[in-house]
Amino acid sequence: MPVTNRLAKTSSVNLIRHNLCPLNALILASAWLFLSPAIADDSEPSSQLSEPELLEPPLPEVLTTTRLRQPKSKVPGTTTIIEGDLIRDLGVMNLVEVFRLVPGMTVTEVGSNNPVTSYHGTVHYEQRRLQIQVDGRTSYRASLSDTDWHTMPVPLELIERIEVSRGPNSAAHGINAFLGTVNIITRSPDDTAGVQLGAASGSRGYLRTFGSVGSASEPYSWRLAYEKRRSDGFDRQVDGGQLYPFNDGYNMNTFSYDGIARLTDQLNLELRGGVVDGINEEDLRKNGKFGATDDPNIIVDDYYLQTRLNVTTSNTHFYHLQVSYQNYQRRQRWPICIPAPVLDNMIAGNPPDSDFDPGDCSPGDTPAPLVANLNEDIEESRLEFELQDTLYFRPDLKLVSGLGYRRDTFRSETFFNGRGNNYQSRAFVNAEYSPFEWVTLNAGGNWETTTTTDEGYFSPRVATNFIISENQAIRFVYSEAVRTPDAFEQTPDWSYRPSNVRAPYTALEGRRFRVEDLVDPTTSTFGQELEEERIVSREVSYFGQFYMSHALMSLELRYFNDELRDMISGVINEEDWFIANNVALDQEGFEVEGSLDYAHTKLRATYAYLDQDGWYTGQPDALNADDQDYVVELLGRLSVRHSGSFSWIQKLPFNLTSAATFYWADEFRRSQFERADFRIARRIDASRYSYELALTMQHYLNRDPELSPDNLISDHNQFFVEAGVRF
Amino acid sequence: MKPDKHTKQDFPSALSYTGVWLVGFLLCLMTLPHSVFAQDDVPRTTIYVAGPENNPTLTQHMTGLLAKALGQGVSLRPFESGQTSQDSDSLAITLGPEAFTQVRQESRSVPILALMVDSAFIEGYFGRSEGRVGAVLYSPPLIRQVAAGKAILPHATHVAMLATPESVELYEGLMDQLADLGMEGRVFIVSQNDNLIPTLIRALGYGDFLLAAPDSDIYNPRTIKHVLLTTYRRNRIVIGPSRAYVRAGALASNYAPLKNIADEAAQQVAGYQQAGRFPAPSYPDTFKLEINRQVARSLNIPLPTEEELRAAIELRLSSLRESNDE
Repeated sequence: MPVTNRLAKTSSVNLIRHNLCPLNALILASAWLFLSPAIADDSEPSSQLSEPELLEPPLPEVLTTTRLRQPKSKVPGTTTIIEGDLIRDLGVMNLVEVFRLVPGMTVTEVGSNNPVTSYHGTVHYEQRRLQIQVDGRTSYRASLSDTDWHTMPVPLELIERIEVSRGPNSAAHGINAFLGTVNIITRSPDDTAGVQLGAASGSRGYLRTFGSVGSASEPYSWRLAYEKRRSDGFDRQVDGGQLYPFNDGYNMNTFSYDGIARLTDQLNLELRGGVVDGINEEDLRKNGKFGATDDPNIIVDDYYLQTRLNVTTSNTHFYHLQVSYQNYQRRQRWPICIPAPVLDNMIAGNPPDSDFDPGDCSPGDTPAPLVANLNEDIEESRLEFELQDTLYFRPDLKLVSGLGYRRDTFRSETFFNGRGNNYQSRAFVNAEYSPFEWVTLNAGGNWETTTTTDEGYFSPRVATNFIISENQAIRFVYSEAVRTPDAFEQTPDWSYRPSNVRAPYTALEGRRFRVEDLVDPTTSTFGQELEEERIVSREVSYFGQFYMSHALMSLELRYFNDELRDMISGVINEEDWFIANNVALDQEGFEVEGSLDYAHTKLRATYAYLDQDGWYTGQPDALNADDQDYVVELLGRLSVRHSGSFSWIQKLPFNLTSAATFYWADEFRRSQFERADFRIARRIDASRYSYELALTMQHYLNRDPELSPDNLISDHNQFFVEAGVRF
Repeated sequence: MKPDKHTKQDFPSALSYTGVWLVGFLLCLMTLPHSVFAQDDVPRTTIYVAGPENNPTLTQHMTGLLAKALGQGVSLRPFESGQTSQDSDSLAITLGPEAFTQVRQESRSVPILALMVDSAFIEGYFGRSEGRVGAVLYSPPLIRQVAAGKAILPHATHVAMLATPESVELYEGLMDQLADLGMEGRVFIVSQNDNLIPTLIRALGYGDFLLAAPDSDIYNPRTIKHVLLTTYRRNRIVIGPSRAYVRAGALASNYAPLKNIADEAAQQVAGYQQAGRFPAPSYPDTFKLEINRQVARSLNIPLPTEEELRAAIELRLSSLRESNDE
């Protein structure tokens, strides 16, 4: 027997099946019409209540536009992204070496084992023409525009990815993003909850230990991390045909704290802070100045504080306000012993005889030498504000705009005879518009004023991306950028003041010996005003991703044609100071970056070809012909015609993973760089922890130093072992 | 089940009614399903539909789909508490575990076709019911989700899974099947809530993608934000567990449209009417794939069309079936 359906009135389906009067039918029909969109054929989910919403309570959209990265096909320029996992899988031992994986970038060491990297050369000691950022914080030194890779507070284990925008990027990042931008992005504390420990040890006294602990929760996530980096540097140096030990190691300790407070669903606050402390060794024979009798090691004491407020007002509008303060302190002090005749010569105003050798002078000599201390202490700080706003007017029209302010402060008795400041203010905007599916237009620019030159500069960029398919695009990019001289180039007040002076020269205590008076007066440009450098860059590039059988292939090609004008080149030291806007460069070339991901195999290759022509554009009588050639040559010291890398990562049975990488750069001043790295690692995932053991070998195929003759390694095979555990 | 006879409804004469009635009649003609009119002369079987109390819209929607799928010979009526004391022979269709439990608690002898339940939930009941409990499973088979992940990332070789000690069984049957897809898998156990992210990080270090089963201890509105963001920032993707999660940021999930579930339910009802017992719980014949293309684009993952992906999934699964048959 059927039961009476007491709920029939609640069901339109059943009600309709019952005997209805026409009026009721009319009402119900109207109701059905009204309701039908919500429960229409489920192949067409309703706009009011879709099928998933019928079945499950809706979840908040987590990966919203505000959190997603821009796809490569829409980026206005070529960008290389190096994932942190790739860095670790290849067994890269130092942060700076990562850049050998970037087409067009070269890496080497100068001075006493000071790493230097550049994109398209043009630099040697100071990497002035790349904008380096760590988590959006400008990270090159304020007054010398140099990047100290040894002290960069970025443990390899915490790198999420490194984005390298190849080509001028001043439109987005301001002046000094001249040749490119490097943005190192560390892992969010949300992604590093738990405990991680690691250690690596190897040839030439290499030691790296790492530890982090943290927690992730909805209101607050945090991480405390520590890293020690130590190396003995190169094994030997050469001087006068003789080999000597080389005091060029480093020993750095980095502590960092990262936190994220989620104040509301729309608002979160990032907090970062860190301290770097250690010693960067400098060699007496290599870098000792004015009769140094001991190694002029540099004691490092850096710290930084950073906060960023992220506000998402809607799915189409978000902005952030970032404030950071960084302090770089370097104490470099050394004892000197200058023989009396040499000192008398200097006091008479003649250029110093810098050809000292250790042991040439000792305190007991007769006549009594000058025994004292000198220093190159410097403290630099940078206060930086940035406000960036992103607004989607429509899905096809996006506007990114913002304001920035920077105060660079430098304090050094030696380099600046006290303290000075530079101020920079900027406004930037970029509009991205996709009028059709097959094209995306970008137009933007940056207006910036700086007290370094007391001028304002506009750096524009326009780009058109023709989207061939969802994952293929051809880009045409035109950009302009400037680099302003740094504080030391522009406003040096360089001198040395002896301290702790022994008798009979105690009267010299605190007396200033001005470098301006010491340098060769026939070529000196000391104190002369410099103008900004300019670059005009044109790029045609292609990006594509495809499936080839069972492999994912990515390919990026870049052709570039750059005109660099008013480039600052010359020599800065205690004997010569001739720098000026005196070189022009034209460069063109192409770069390839490709990868193939098979089931157990990953292949990655890069290649760059650079053709660079430079010529002297300074005053014809300012330098002799040799020096004119020399200043042009100086800008090409890191420019290599061919460079590239090839990597092969293979998953093997027994949880083993192997990696083989070949790097080459052909060629630097002395020789080409060629090195093959091999790594075998075993990762075990236990129930409560995972650990990894690895062995890496670096094999130098070319055993000649590529740039500095002092960079000598005794064994062309270098070995490293690693162990890491995560709970 | 017993036929339910309805008296024939007299057709009103248009001449004897006002224009309002005529309009009402025409609207009925335009809007009401054909089956509603065609039913009157046919002996009809009553099937009761029990849905979740807190989701009457779903019950209403599913009732409509079932009415279409079951055709004219069936009258659907809402299940009501206490009715099994009067009629314990008519079939009940339940929507979700809650409704199933409600009906089952009232009478263990009522034949029930359970919809929107998972295999883990219904298998015990099916085994004990001697054919009086059947089911159309709702969540897609995990191996199908893995096949989707493999279709999206053909180079993937390792699949990572997260589970609590209580839910690890969800993945039990999957592990043996992975090798046939050329995959290896590992379940990472989250022993406490605090360990979710650390365990996830280890899992992402292992897997090319994260396979998410319907496990509310791991994947719920409270945890999904952390899971999705951490996975995204580590350049990994999440496959599953459902369409709602894809909308939140998972890359893809198979799903059975409700219409397909209703069609499968109709087949099972027909089978029950003929054989007097339900077959083993089964999945609908066809699945669709929900994809979050925005996330894929952002991760620079080239995606074929949904049709191509579904074809790739079916190809992998058919080769899997063939190898199992052999």
